Amino acid sequence: MALLLIVLLPLLGAFLTATCVRSRPRCNSLLAATGPVISLTLALSLLPAILRGERLLAHWHWLPQLDLALSLRMDGLSLLFALLIIAMGLLVLLYAHFYFAGKPRDSQRFNSLMLLFMTAMLGIVTSENLLFMLVFWEMTSLVSFLLIGFHADRREARRGARMTLVITGGGGLALLAGMVLIGQVVGSYQLTEVLASGDLIRQHAHYPLILALVLLGAMTKSAQFPFHLWLPHAMTAPTPVSVYLHSATMVKAGIFLLARFHPVLAETDLWLYSVSTVGMATLLTGAFVAMFKHDIKGLLAYSTISHLGLITLLLGMGTRMGLIVGLFHLFNHALFKAPLFMMAGIVDKATGSRDMRLINGLWRHMPYLMVLTGLCAASMAGLPLLNGFLSKKMFFAESLQSPFTGILFWLTPALAAVAGLLSVAYSVRIFHNIFFNGLPGALPHYPPRKPSAGILVPVTLLAASCLVVGLVPQYVVHTLLQQAAQDALGGALPEYNLGLLHLFNMPFLMSVLALSGGLAMYMARRQLFALYDRLPEVDAKENFEWLMLRAGRFAERQVHRLENGSLQRYAALLMATAVVLPGTALLGVQAWGGGEAMTPLDPVTLLGALILIASAIAAVVVHRQRLMALLLIGSCGLFVTLLFARFSAPDLALTQLSVEVMAVIIMMLALSFLPQTTPRESPPLRRGRDLLLAGSAGGGVAALAYAVMTRPQQTISDFFLANSLTGGGGSNVVNVILVDFRGFDTLGESTVLGIAAVAVFALTRNLQLKGRVAGDSGSYWASEPHPMILRMMARPLLPVALMVSAYIFLRGHNMPGGGFIAGLITSVALSLQYMAGGLAWAHQRMITSFRPLVGAGLLLALATGLGSLAFGAPFLTSWFGHYHLPGLGELELATAMLFDLGVFVTVVGATLLILANLGKLMTLDGPGKEIG
Amino acid sequence: MELLMAISIGVLTTCGLYLILRARTFPVVLGLTLLSHGVNLFLFSMGRLTLEAPAVLDGSGNHADPLPQALVLTAIVIGFAMTAFVVVLSLRAAVELRSDHVDGADPDEDRRL
Amino acid sequence: MSHLPILPILLPLLCAALLILCYATPLAVQRLVSLASVALTLVVALALGAGLDEHPYWLYALGDWMPPFGILLVVDHLSVLMLTLTAVLAGFCTLYACRGHDRQGAHFHALLQFQLAGLNGAFVTGDLFNLFVFFEVLLIASYALLLQGGGAARGRAGLHYVVLNLTGSAIFILALGLLYGMTGTLNMADMAVRIGQAPEADRALINAASMLLLVVFGTKAALLPLLFWLPRAYIAASAPVAALFAIMTKVGIYALLRVFALVFGLQVGLGETQAWQWLWPMALATLAVGIVGVLGASHLRGMTAYMVIVSVGTLLAALSLATHQAVSSALFYLVHSTLMTAAFFLMADLVARQRGEARDHLVVTAAMKNRLTLGILFFVAAMALAGLPPLSGFVSKLWMLQASAGGATESGGSQQGLFWGLLLLSGFVMIIALSRAGSKLFWRQSPERAHNRRADPVRLGVVMAMILASVLLSVMASPLMDFTQATARSLLSPQDYVAAVQSLADGPLGGPPDAP
Repeated sequence: MALLLIVLLPLLGAFLTATCVRSRPRCNSLLAATGPVISLTLALSLLPAILRGERLLAHWHWLPQLDLALSLRMDGLSLLFALLIIAMGLLVLLYAHFYFAGKPRDSQRFNSLMLLFMTAMLGIVTSENLLFMLVFWEMTSLVSFLLIGFHADRREARRGARMTLVITGGGGLALLAGMVLIGQVVGSYQLTEVLASGDLIRQHAHYPLILALVLLGAMTKSAQFPFHLWLPHAMTAPTPVSVYLHSATMVKAGIFLLARFHPVLAETDLWLYSVSTVGMATLLTGAFVAMFKHDIKGLLAYSTISHLGLITLLLGMGTRMGLIVGLFHLFNHALFKAPLFMMAGIVDKATGSRDMRLINGLWRHMPYLMVLTGLCAASMAGLPLLNGFLSKKMFFAESLQSPFTGILFWLTPALAAVAGLLSVAYSVRIFHNIFFNGLPGALPHYPPRKPSAGILVPVTLLAASCLVVGLVPQYVVHTLLQQAAQDALGGALPEYNLGLLHLFNMPFLMSVLALSGGLAMYMARRQLFALYDRLPEVDAKENFEWLMLRAGRFAERQVHRLENGSLQRYAALLMATAVVLPGTALLGVQAWGGGEAMTPLDPVTLLGALILIASAIAAVVVHRQRLMALLLIGSCGLFVTLLFARFSAPDLALTQLSVEVMAVIIMMLALSFLPQTTPRESPPLRRGRDLLLAGSAGGGVAALAYAVMTRPQQTISDFFLANSLTGGGGSNVVNVILVDFRGFDTLGESTVLGIAAVAVFALTRNLQLKGRVAGDSGSYWASEPHPMILRMMARPLLPVALMVSAYIFLRGHNMPGGGFIAGLITSVALSLQYMAGGLAWAHQRMITSFRPLVGAGLLLALATGLGSLAFGAPFLTSWFGHYHLPGLGELELATAMLFDLGVFVTVVGATLLILANLGKLMTLDGPGKEIG
Repeated sequence: MELLMAISIGVLTTCGLYLILRARTFPVVLGLTLLSHGVNLFLFSMGRLTLEAPAVLDGSGNHADPLPQALVLTAIVIGFAMTAFVVVLSLRAAVELRSDHVDGADPDEDRRL
Repeated sequence: MSHLPILPILLPLLCAALLILCYATPLAVQRLVSLASVALTLVVALALGAGLDEHPYWLYALGDWMPPFGILLVVDHLSVLMLTLTAVLAGFCTLYACRGHDRQGAHFHALLQFQLAGLNGAFVTGDLFNLFVFFEVLLIASYALLLQGGGAARGRAGLHYVVLNLTGSAIFILALGLLYGMTGTLNMADMAVRIGQAPEADRALINAASMLLLVVFGTKAALLPLLFWLPRAYIAASAPVAALFAIMTKVGIYALLRVFALVFGLQVGLGETQAWQWLWPMALATLAVGIVGVLGASHLRGMTAYMVIVSVGTLLAALSLATHQAVSSALFYLVHSTLMTAAFFLMADLVARQRGEARDHLVVTAAMKNRLTLGILFFVAAMALAGLPPLSGFVSKLWMLQASAGGATESGGSQQGLFWGLLLLSGFVMIIALSRAGSKLFWRQSPERAHNRRADPVRLGVVMAMILASVLLSVMASPLMDFTQATARSLLSPQDYVAAVQSLADGPLGGPPDAP
């Protein structure tokens, strides 16, 4: 429970500070501090147990399916980091309270984000479950994104934030992959089990991959070469952020990961060479560039990079001692680097600048700060009596016993010494340059504003602790450090002594060398700066932005090229796919013909089919003459009708016929608004391609049709033939299928028709056809909208047509016919009236609101279906009976007919709604009043 | 006869698809109509071809397969609904895109701000 | 017998018919009806889900005609999953639309209800031709919804969408016909059995039919190279419609799963069906195209549209592995991605409303009125979409990573590598794109003062609720994960489905035993 509280209290604080708006800054900061304070006390209360070598675990279920559990762990390593994180956090909160003085909103926002970040860090170091650790890992990336972009109005801040997020977030993804791989190798995501199965992982085929992925995660987080670039640009964050994220905590997360997984991944050559090389490269680049940064925070950022490199190098050597020294230096680095950052912030506030070419001789104005800075800088440089010296010396000692062989064995200490030299140089610079080095340049504020006493408190504490640790390490950190190393490595630790100062040994000489060399280098700084300025300037951020921009542009171009808004291309792609995919399947066809005897050919059918084929081809040939093409299409429909009739499908023939009439009427109407001819646009090549596509598709379809038709058939249809009369009460099986066996399909199809009608209504509602769309030819198919002859013919036709459709409807159940056909015939007749008389005429004589018809028809059909529910039968169960009525004779009544009536009404309503709204467009005075 | 049927289906489909690949709305609409003729005939012929035996019970045992007929009828009606809709849509598009080209007068206008 | 299975179709259908019949009813009433119908549908869906425990397959024989002869509705885990998801999504979209979008065109609510009827019908039917009919219902409704409000962009996108889908429907009929011609049945379970009995000589033709179906459903699901209709259509659609369309691609995926797991997979198993062999490369290619699109988008809607494509690619890639774990994780991801992409479409609208001329284009404008609120919402939703912890995106990504680990075999290893690579890459690219978009929209701002109104509280609330859903989907993911696992199990054991249908059928499925 204590574990959970340690992690969650800061989170709670984050919410409180964020929510209690308008609270006075002091209250807010106090509120912010409470959570961490309690966490700290809790953590300290665990100290004795941990030092006794105990390991505390806490476990709650989250997603057992993924082995993603909310489980925490506290051992020496976790505790060392946890204490560092909380303590530093508290100091930073204190510092920030004064830093943001006078900016309550900023202060509040910072506090809550800061606490959120603290939670994330604590989560990382105390997670027992790898996946759970990832959750916090990404959380740090996200929160740091918000913290670096704190001053979002500044371009630099936004860019720095994005760069950080992309690099660390990307690393996080790699880490995710690595963790899942580890989990699969080990079979568990619990750290205890993973740490226990080091050999298993090291011998696994995936080991290199795992190592690469985990390192990618760690290196990006800890700003290791070549991913170090984000850190300097993260300096656009407010200084308290830099103090916490970029010196004390976030950048240490990667190191923590390396230490945590040391028993699992380390002690292989791969680890040795990859990690230590990266570390060395980072150490040198960081140290070198730092010297030449004129921005205080810039210098500190690069020095941080180099120190992180140093620690990585130590861990990379894979020796147990190396890890101990690494942890020790990590601890020390936090102690001396944080106050230096704080100093940078104070100076920045005081002088309004961070440029060391301007900031000189501040000793007069802030002597106390000078002393503190001196201490920390000395520690950073590695001067005796300070903590930095101890770990630096031990580092040198380690570099002398590197597991390398041959030239590398000597190269390591040499380079280490060089790095030490450089670090001395920039340490001297940051001290001397700011506080001495002549008089200040043209500073924004001169004389500098006096820093408030409060803001100096955290600096003092940290500087003091540098001294204390430097003098009596064995009493302060030794035991915890030992325990941490113990828990990180497992097994016995080598004998060592933090405090012991045996002079005049090799490491000591190296330190002296570094010191003197560094001083010399600082002396010669003018010349060096001149040299450095001649080097080509590279701004990583610019390059990064440029890269991102380029990627975006490139992607955009590609997208436009692919998705270029050409229907023709999309359709061609669709057809090509529809040809190729089934084509591959059809390669396996042994025999197309199925062996069944073909029905003998008869001349009439042949003729009809030939005309059908001819008119289809003709329609394509003359498709530029639109009216012509339309008529040819019409004739196609006619001959399809005849084919249906020929092959004993009278219902289909009737339906096809009436539909065809309707469709042609509608297209005629449409054509009267469109150009009469189609321009010749597609080049021959394109036409060839299209012909090839269409041809192969058509050929395939023909082949399939042939293949199936010549194969023996087995079908469920016999059931319908058998039960149509007895079960459905009708002898026209097709109609019985439509209204009974598969009435649900029919319901669906009439719904489609209804929706289409409503959709047409919606489309034409506010459609303004400005006169007629100008045709290329300019001539129109009908100059006189309501021709005389048509009118003469149409009117007497109406009653006849209505009677016919009534007849067709009634007989539908037993003879070819039924609701659809009847409905279509009715609407053809009615629409003829429209064609002939025109809207105005029709409106006076006929109902003009069709939407209710559509709705009512559908409802009737639905209601019929629902009726059967009352009798406990499923939806659409039909019922029928035969009655003998005197005079009328045998009469059959079937619910199916009621259903069919609904269909009939829907069809009439829908078709008329469509026609009326199309017709409406013909009245050139625009939409006018709504129809339907 | 089967062969003849297959060929007509193939031709209808080919012509339909070719017209669908044209650049103006009206031919495309015609193409869709032809295509639906083609596929309807295809679906119909999947019940095999039968002469002089409509699926109306008259005591004689031999009948055409009624099921595909019912399916085709459904398909025809749906096809009709779709045709009606796409015709009106093409009109609307012609007005709003200032051209009856399937991509309008300027395919990229809505990319720009 | 219970009528529950038919209700998800009938409820919206009745409401739609009523709304058409009384077309003059005030909008307020229409909204009430619409919302009520969606709510009831959700209740029904949940009730169906609750019933799955004692009988994993709800059967409903329409017209009391037993399979294989009549049309049979079959509600199993997958159906319930889709029904529930659709109802929830529709609820959000309807509520959002009720704040004004439903004024843009005629009969918005009626069309929406028709759309739902079509979707639900597709999810519950056990009959292949009936599936076609419901596809047509949902398509024609979607055409109308897409075109609501008019305008050039909608006209163009609509025309393309319609023409391509009509061609697709024609292909669907071809496939149907072919399958009927070969098997002589339409009931999916019966068809599955008969395909199993089909002679070797007919295999190729049946495979051809399956490929045609792959093309049809692939077009709906936006699978490369059939996906190009999608971006402009979704960009042009009004926000709530675009959000609702997040389910449209999933219908295609549902159909793929249903038909290939049952009809073609009964004998050989889903993974061995010929289409599934093709699915893997196509899905990865889709994913890749989506990634490029997200990176290259110049406005939020465009980015979201391509995120839909990314989700489709991811989903199908995971599904094409066809293992129990992979399918379960994919189904979980389906729920997450549908809700989150929908939420993002709505958010794009909220943002656009506060940026005047610039709308949701990624350019700098005056600060938005609700900059902070929208900023936070955007941040969280972006986290969810990019798969960052602790939101549903992370959970589903993590699960897919774990599930796709077939590392044992060589091919399995390379498969895993490819999938992991693209999956992580997509996450990485989303981080880049979304952080860029976010900082442009919410951090940068030109000096001139904002000239816009506050966001509508209901709209804001809807988006908040959807994002909250993502949080719940991760914090309390377990129940849903169990459910998707059960779903995958039933999907991958089609013989249970067939057995259930057989129990109701009169006569043995696959025709009389003496049949060839």
